[in-house]
Amino acid sequence: MAQVPNLDNAPINLTTIRDQSQKELITILKNVRGKKCLVIDPKLSGSLSLIVQSSQLKEHGAELRHLTAEPVETDCTKMVYLVRAQLNLMKFICSQIHNDTSKGLHREYFLYFVPRRAVACEKILEEEKVHELLTIGEYPLYLIPLDEDVLSFELDLAHKECMVNGDTTSLWHIAKAIHKLEFSFGTIQNVRAKGKASTRVADILNRMQAEEPVNTSDMGIPEINTLILLDREVDMVTPMCTQLTYEGLLDEFLGVNNGAVELDSSIMGVQQEGKKLKVPLNSSDKLFKEIRDMNFEVVVQVLRQKATSMKQDYTEISTTTQSVSELKDFVKKLNSLPEMTRHINLAQHLSTFTSKPSFLGRLDMEQTLVEAQSYDICFEHIEEMIHKQEPLINVLRLLVLLSITYAGLPKKNFDYLRRELLHSYGFEHIATLNNLEKDGLFKKQDSKSNWLTVKRALQLVVEDTDTTNPNDISYVFSGYAPLSIRLVQHAIRSGWRPIEEILKLLPGPHSETKKSGFASSPSFDTLPGSLNNSEKVAEGRRSLVLVVFIGGVTFAEISALRFLSSQEGMAYDVIVGTTKIINGHTLIQTFVE
Amino acid sequence: MAGVSVAAEWQLLYNRYYRKPELYQMQWKQVDLTRNKVACAPFGGPIAAIRDDAKIVQLFAESALRKLRIFTSSGRLISETVWKNPGGRLIGMSWSDDQILVCITQDGTVYSYDIHAELINTYSLGKECFESSVVECVFWGNGVVCINEAFGIFAVPDFKNHRAVKLADCNLEDLPHCIAVIEPQYTMSGNVEVLLGVGDHVLLVEEDGVQQLGVGIGPLQKMVVSRTGKLLASFTHDGRLLVISTDFSNIIFEYTSLLVILCATVYDEPIILIPECDGVRILSNTSMEFLHRVPDSTVSIFQIGSTLPAALLYDALDHFDRRSAKADENLRLIRSSLPEAVEACIDAAGYEFDISQQRTLLRAASYGQAFCSQFQREHIQEMCKTLRVLNAVRHHEIGIPLSIQQYKLLTPSVLINRLINAHNYLLALRISEYLGINQEVVIMHWACTKITESLGIPDASLLEILLHKLKICKGISYAAVAAHADKNGRRKLAAMLVEHEPHSSKQIPLLLSIGEEDTALVKATESGDTDLVYLVLFHIWQKRPSLEFFGTIQARPLARDLFINYAQCYKHEFLKDFFLSTGQLQDVAFLLWKESWELAKNPMASKGSPLHGPRVKLIEKAQHLFSETKEHTFESKAAEEHAKLLRIQHDLEVTTKQAIFVDSSISDTIRTCIVLGNHRAAMKVKTEFKVSEKRWYWLKVFALATIRDWDALEKFSKEKRPPIGYRPFVEACVDADEKGEALKYIPKLADPREKAEAYARIGMAKEAADAASQAKDGELLGRLKLTFAQNAAASSIFDTLRDRLSFQGVS
Repeated sequence: MAQVPNLDNAPINLTTIRDQSQKELITILKNVRGKKCLVIDPKLSGSLSLIVQSSQLKEHGAELRHLTAEPVETDCTKMVYLVRAQLNLMKFICSQIHNDTSKGLHREYFLYFVPRRAVACEKILEEEKVHELLTIGEYPLYLIPLDEDVLSFELDLAHKECMVNGDTTSLWHIAKAIHKLEFSFGTIQNVRAKGKASTRVADILNRMQAEEPVNTSDMGIPEINTLILLDREVDMVTPMCTQLTYEGLLDEFLGVNNGAVELDSSIMGVQQEGKKLKVPLNSSDKLFKEIRDMNFEVVVQVLRQKATSMKQDYTEISTTTQSVSELKDFVKKLNSLPEMTRHINLAQHLSTFTSKPSFLGRLDMEQTLVEAQSYDICFEHIEEMIHKQEPLINVLRLLVLLSITYAGLPKKNFDYLRRELLHSYGFEHIATLNNLEKDGLFKKQDSKSNWLTVKRALQLVVEDTDTTNPNDISYVFSGYAPLSIRLVQHAIRSGWRPIEEILKLLPGPHSETKKSGFASSPSFDTLPGSLNNSEKVAEGRRSLVLVVFIGGVTFAEISALRFLSSQEGMAYDVIVGTTKIINGHTLIQTFVE
Repeated sequence: MAGVSVAAEWQLLYNRYYRKPELYQMQWKQVDLTRNKVACAPFGGPIAAIRDDAKIVQLFAESALRKLRIFTSSGRLISETVWKNPGGRLIGMSWSDDQILVCITQDGTVYSYDIHAELINTYSLGKECFESSVVECVFWGNGVVCINEAFGIFAVPDFKNHRAVKLADCNLEDLPHCIAVIEPQYTMSGNVEVLLGVGDHVLLVEEDGVQQLGVGIGPLQKMVVSRTGKLLASFTHDGRLLVISTDFSNIIFEYTSLLVILCATVYDEPIILIPECDGVRILSNTSMEFLHRVPDSTVSIFQIGSTLPAALLYDALDHFDRRSAKADENLRLIRSSLPEAVEACIDAAGYEFDISQQRTLLRAASYGQAFCSQFQREHIQEMCKTLRVLNAVRHHEIGIPLSIQQYKLLTPSVLINRLINAHNYLLALRISEYLGINQEVVIMHWACTKITESLGIPDASLLEILLHKLKICKGISYAAVAAHADKNGRRKLAAMLVEHEPHSSKQIPLLLSIGEEDTALVKATESGDTDLVYLVLFHIWQKRPSLEFFGTIQARPLARDLFINYAQCYKHEFLKDFFLSTGQLQDVAFLLWKESWELAKNPMASKGSPLHGPRVKLIEKAQHLFSETKEHTFESKAAEEHAKLLRIQHDLEVTTKQAIFVDSSISDTIRTCIVLGNHRAAMKVKTEFKVSEKRWYWLKVFALATIRDWDALEKFSKEKRPPIGYRPFVEACVDADEKGEALKYIPKLADPREKAEAYARIGMAKEAADAASQAKDGELLGRLKLTFAQNAAASSIFDTLRDRLSFQGVS
């Protein structure tokens, strides 16, 4: 199974999008004739593994390297840099070229920016006097299909850059990516946004549509009906909680990167001392598609059932005489054995984490924090974690939960914990604390908390959640329904209007626009904002909602969305767009300097 | 029959019919071709005329100054200008493919004019031509070859480059009989090749060599190269017509008698022949005609006595119009071949210049089509469309007599460009609209011309005039029009126009170029495109003094934040200046603090090196700056503590002679001290930084467990009643897998639930159960029971699979 996922079952034609990106990359390589050294910035290289296999790049005469501060050792006379337009990467390129010049090496340099050239980057190149040595181009990669229903803009720092540094480059990027989708799938008619960044993206998207209108006449009915934009800022509670779906837990403990986990081969039952193994995780794996969104507790049961039924089949085969067709069925079932083994291995490995008392303790604490009824217990727990010098990120995840649910900490507590943190983890974390404060994740209490009102109004804590046969999205956190997805649920069902009062309690403005001018849809009078019934049924196909998370989304939230769209009476498919797949750990990590 | 009169005008030549319909009665008055040098552009292009200074002519009531006049093909004057150019006689004059009139004078100066008789540029063929006069020029679509009195041959291979090259010297002693040129696009080398008729042979001259060809075929009086450069027609002095391939490898055919003396004989006035791709236009003083072969479709309809289906169809329409039943009879006759008859009528209509004839033929086609079940109806529509365009441009006011073949070769977009160049904007616009071609080019050109020619109109009214037309075309570049206005010195108009540009990426660079930086910054910010904001930012940065620059960006958050990001990465010192100028002292402090870490990362800064001094100084400077504002008391204290810690750590490294302290945290320092057995130092750090008893207990317990000093741990537990109970002791022992040690502390735990779990963790089920029941916690009891449930042994592979799943799930 490959890391490049199969996209044939996607609700829109994502294959063409990926093929296009692949073609553009190959064209870049072809345009530089002969042997060349392709130097890719490491993060980009991870993203590209979802588009093209490295063997394909090598076929076109490329020697592959990662861009680091160190000079590249190669015999190639042509250097092709493929980098995201980020300032810090420019220094690496400059120093490599300077290094070549000082050694008297004469090379041809090509620099391709992803997704486009950037004035600020080129300014550095000019100041370092390497600009005239470079042939500069663009590789317009704005999004990557992670799976048949997930698109990533691959902007891992978007949230921090926007919130802490005030750099909104990512917002333009997101709008551009959506606008590009519109050129393939038609103008999106309904746009609903919540949060400062989201409303801004909706606004930029509007401008882009005015500047470069999508020719609707030769496109037919737009394939994407509704766009919902949501800031991560609106719901920072959810990512701080430990995800309890199978895929979510895999990410929490093993880290899913670019649709694959990397772990010791021994865990997967391959006896190769100390060797790492990459296990792809996407819908091409039928069993994974079936269980990825389930609560891990249930996954264990399902796998057990499957194993038992196989054993039964096996017993029957060996004891009774079977017809050939029955034998054939059995052999067919055997084909799924590798997948079974793979996931049993993974699940068993996960269970070594989940059975630890410390893990159960953490879940307890998260539950208590979300319920927001016992401040002192939580505060003392966190204090103790700091004193025990537990991993900083684990501490910060809970601390952020505490701070958000109580709209900050009383000044005394705030200063005390900050001091304890600096004493325990080092003074350099003043920068981390400063970042968290700027983002509003860990701050001094300045107002009354809305959390209890929001929690109650949106029924975020659900008693007696049935994780086996779930009837609500709360199953993904065993009792907590993610706020973000509750909002999406409302937005899809009825638009913002019915929950406007609640929206006002959450950070950032909200907006809702409906584009007119699509003549062929019959104009029934419906509530503004709601998915028009006629739109849904008339064409005899499910309408499509694109939900974009600005600042990242967790696997558990994606699972919750899949759960929603699979519910009876929900006549829509959901595609998720995100700046990056995140979890509490990776999100907090961006703030640590 | 209707066709008789049509065919009567044809002339049969061998087995082909030719005809020469009159295109125009020339509108000009008193233009005598004999008195003038005339240049006619192909594709129905303009005609340039100037009194020939090589001839002695009588001046009538006219000025002695010569005038260059430019006419349409219908003889309407487009423009004129007085020829005052020095340089001696005008030797050559011709239109280029781009409809630029190229004139070459004796001294080798090249003058280029547009069709408005505006001089576009002048350049020289070089010194040699200046010294020895140019005597003859041979033009092609995009270049020219000249020969001078010294028999030097020069070429301008591309009019766009204004560059002359000298071709190889061929040591001529006399002027050649004739000259022909093979255009660069048709030669092997890609360079121009010149054929000279010299003596009884031909010389092929290139830039780097001369070749002798076709010895004995001449002498040649005249040579002409075919359109594709493959064939050469030549006329020998003994009256033979030869067609030879241009490499002279074989003679295609040869006539000894004169065949084509078709026109000259019947004209009693001077004429000029204008070659076209499908015929030749014949210009006389009074008229223009188009000599061409009668197309096959036309022949099939109008040839006298034709009974071909097309002719019958045409005839049927005539009967139909006269309500004669014979129409039906005709149709029956040709039923099976009706489609081809229709096709022929459509085709023939295309070749007609006479509008009523076109109409009749199309009606015939349309009549026939009605009886065809399967016929591509678009053909008629397409032809109607094409003819409408052709008739419009053929109108004598416009004067572009294109045939349908010429039109197809020229392409509609080039035709539109020519109309634009001739300032026939309305027609160009209508044709673009009619053919569904983007009108942007037309409107853009119009707007720019309008600006150039409207110096007298005030900005506001001109803006209105322009906007009125610009809005016709969605997506037109207002920025380009604005740029043109700016170039014409109308900066204010430019600013007003650029306001309407929807593309920020076009708008902003222009705003910068017209000095509207502040507007540019606002617009860039609004666009949401940070790249544009950076563009403006760097522009202002470069242009204004630092302080003014700081002031500008301080007022604009996005610009300010982007500047900070850039400067943080690349202009660190400048960033400090910025923060100081805006009074953000705490930000300067953070920068300094950060610098101190950078120093630590520096590999030169080995532990205990004198670099600690500078680090501490930086941090103290930061502390000082933090203390300036009372919102940053916490940071100030932290910085103070950090500096103190570094000093203490430095001392510790000196006394312990171990470089393991610097840059660890306070807690880590305490642990390290205890691990090293230096309890006094640990205590000193504790006191210096007022470490709480709670933290102290955790740190010391864990540190002692690390070195497995269980005695010391027990002693520590007995020092006094631990402020956080015995849990840390239990945890430390359990984590270290020291059951016996753990049992010393478990009984002392106050909470029975904690006690139960601790027993469970070291596998003492009974004690755990006891403690749990003491706590009266059923849920706890259940959970503990699960912990002890053990797997059964596995028997088969499936059992193994299943049993490996018999682990406890999450709660």
